[in-house]
Amino acid sequence: MTTAKPILLAEDNPRDAELALAAMEAEHISEKVVLCHDGAEVLDYLYCRGQFKSRLRGNPAVVFLDLKMPKVNGLEVLRTIKADINLRPIPVVMLTSSREERDLAESYALGANAYVVKPVEFHKFLSAVKELGTFWGVINEPPPESCRSTH
Amino acid sequence: MDAASNHQSQTPFLGAEGPQPSSSVPAGSSGFYPVSVGWFHGLTIEQRVLAGFSLVFVGILIVSGISYHNMNILLTNRGLDGRSHDTIQLLNNIDVAMSEAEDTHRRYLVTGEASYLEAYQKFAKQKLTFTAYLNDLIRESPEQQQRAGLLDRMMDRQLNAESKAIAQFQEGGFRAVKKMAFEGAGKRELGVIHQIITEMDLYERQAVGRRVVESAAGTRNTIVLLGIGALLQLVLLAGVYYLIRHDITERRRVAGELQRRGELLEAANKELEAFSYSVSHDLRAPLRHIDGYAALLRRAVEHSLNDKATRYLQTISDSAKQMGQLIDDLLVFSRMGRQEMLHTAVNLDQVIKNILSDLRLDLQGREISWTIAALPEVQGDPAMLRQVFMNLIANAVKFTSTRPIATIEIGVERPSSTEIVLFVRDNGVGFDMQYAPKLFGVFQRLHRADEFEGTGIGLANVRRIVHRHGGRTWAEGVPDKGATFYVLLPSRRRDS
Repeated sequence: MTTAKPILLAEDNPRDAELALAAMEAEHISEKVVLCHDGAEVLDYLYCRGQFKSRLRGNPAVVFLDLKMPKVNGLEVLRTIKADINLRPIPVVMLTSSREERDLAESYALGANAYVVKPVEFHKFLSAVKELGTFWGVINEPPPESCRSTH
Repeated sequence: MDAASNHQSQTPFLGAEGPQPSSSVPAGSSGFYPVSVGWFHGLTIEQRVLAGFSLVFVGILIVSGISYHNMNILLTNRGLDGRSHDTIQLLNNIDVAMSEAEDTHRRYLVTGEASYLEAYQKFAKQKLTFTAYLNDLIRESPEQQQRAGLLDRMMDRQLNAESKAIAQFQEGGFRAVKKMAFEGAGKRELGVIHQIITEMDLYERQAVGRRVVESAAGTRNTIVLLGIGALLQLVLLAGVYYLIRHDITERRRVAGELQRRGELLEAANKELEAFSYSVSHDLRAPLRHIDGYAALLRRAVEHSLNDKATRYLQTISDSAKQMGQLIDDLLVFSRMGRQEMLHTAVNLDQVIKNILSDLRLDLQGREISWTIAALPEVQGDPAMLRQVFMNLIANAVKFTSTRPIATIEIGVERPSSTEIVLFVRDNGVGFDMQYAPKLFGVFQRLHRADEFEGTGIGLANVRRIVHRHGGRTWAEGVPDKGATFYVLLPSRRRDS
């Protein structure tokens, strides 16, 4: 089990964040979730700088990325992750309201591992987030690079 | 637009000044001016230019005609002048010849010298030639002919008298003609001849003088006419040139304006699409929250909720879902307007088959009699055309749900080489034709939400897609009898 691996959730909207956490709570994975409120924070976390300077080293099990975020948007974060040889193996799941072809195409072109549209209906949203959390946080075996965590 | 219409209303005034210089005469012509502008205003630019050129042509014809006429008079006068001069010359010769004849016959009578007789006879012989020539020269003047007749008779009488005297001389010698020899046998006639010749000479000289005056006036008129004509043609041509140039400038301006508006429209459209995209996305988040928190609330107070409170929470969720559906539909609609279109051959038979297969869950428990004709292949975007028929067929299925046996017919009407009309007909609830124009509008619904569900965007999408294919849509319906929806698609590919 990779219980130590955190799940990085980038979500600028506190309500969406709360709902997502509520969904994951049911599956007891919410405690693994690290919440970032914009793209800049995600990058700070990944590069262990700013408020995350003293965090435990190591890549997260998965990054859930919203597209529309203040400061640095989801696509820019994705581009940075996939351009960095150390971060590239981290699975990135786009979690967004947009079903636009343009966004889909660009995300996949940049190397997104999955693209999930947030359903409006809560029970669908609930099951989507549950499944995503379970799959990427529990079932999926993360890449070996992210295992060189320093304790 | 304002600038354009102002400009246009000025055109006839400016235009009328060119080809119609008379209408710019200020005093007394004010009544004529608006009338002429009235008909000129009604003409197209082509007709105006044609009218201008026709006027120029008519002007040239008139000037040429009058010049030709004047030139003809000049040439005729020159011919007449030549004849007059010949006449004067001839009269002089006749005068001299008759005098000589009188002179030589007298000399013969006095001397009996034969050489005088010969000279006399030569002059007498010339008489016939002279009169014939004279009659020819003055053939067009009756006055002169009258005088010439008199002259002829006088000449005959003179010559007769002289011949008689010569004959008497040859019979009776000098004595018989002594008196005549000194006085001359035709002396009296010769005097009359002199007088007639002087009259005729004067007449010819007067005629020449008259013609000189006439020719000079004709020439002056021609020159003036040519001058005025040329000036008028110039003015007319300038008017036509102005019309053409004005029209070209106007056309160029309109083309530029159209292009500018097209660009503006495109920019506005893009902006609108971006706006609806962004609004749709931003609207989704609060909806998710409403539904989410309602669910969380229900979960939190599950045990203390009564039926009423449960229903309230359910309504909150349902409304949020409904709005979510509206936003989704709006997004699809917006996407339909922006999406790049494919242009390939679309097999409609296959499209319909797929749609019916996709709809089979909705068709469970329904009794529907399908009549589906063999459909042609059309040019267009397969996904978009699928959406069109999906919407139309789903509508037909939906609005026949109250019928024990629904009949839905899909077919082709008046196939032609340039366009294909497809239709979907049902025996459902139909609609009142007075609402037909509203059918294809965004969020337009003819039925209450509790009768038939839907967001009212399906037919708007149909219309948008069909328009993008260069086609048209329309519908016919009878309340409670059924409805028919038509889709016209052009057969040939359109690059729009």
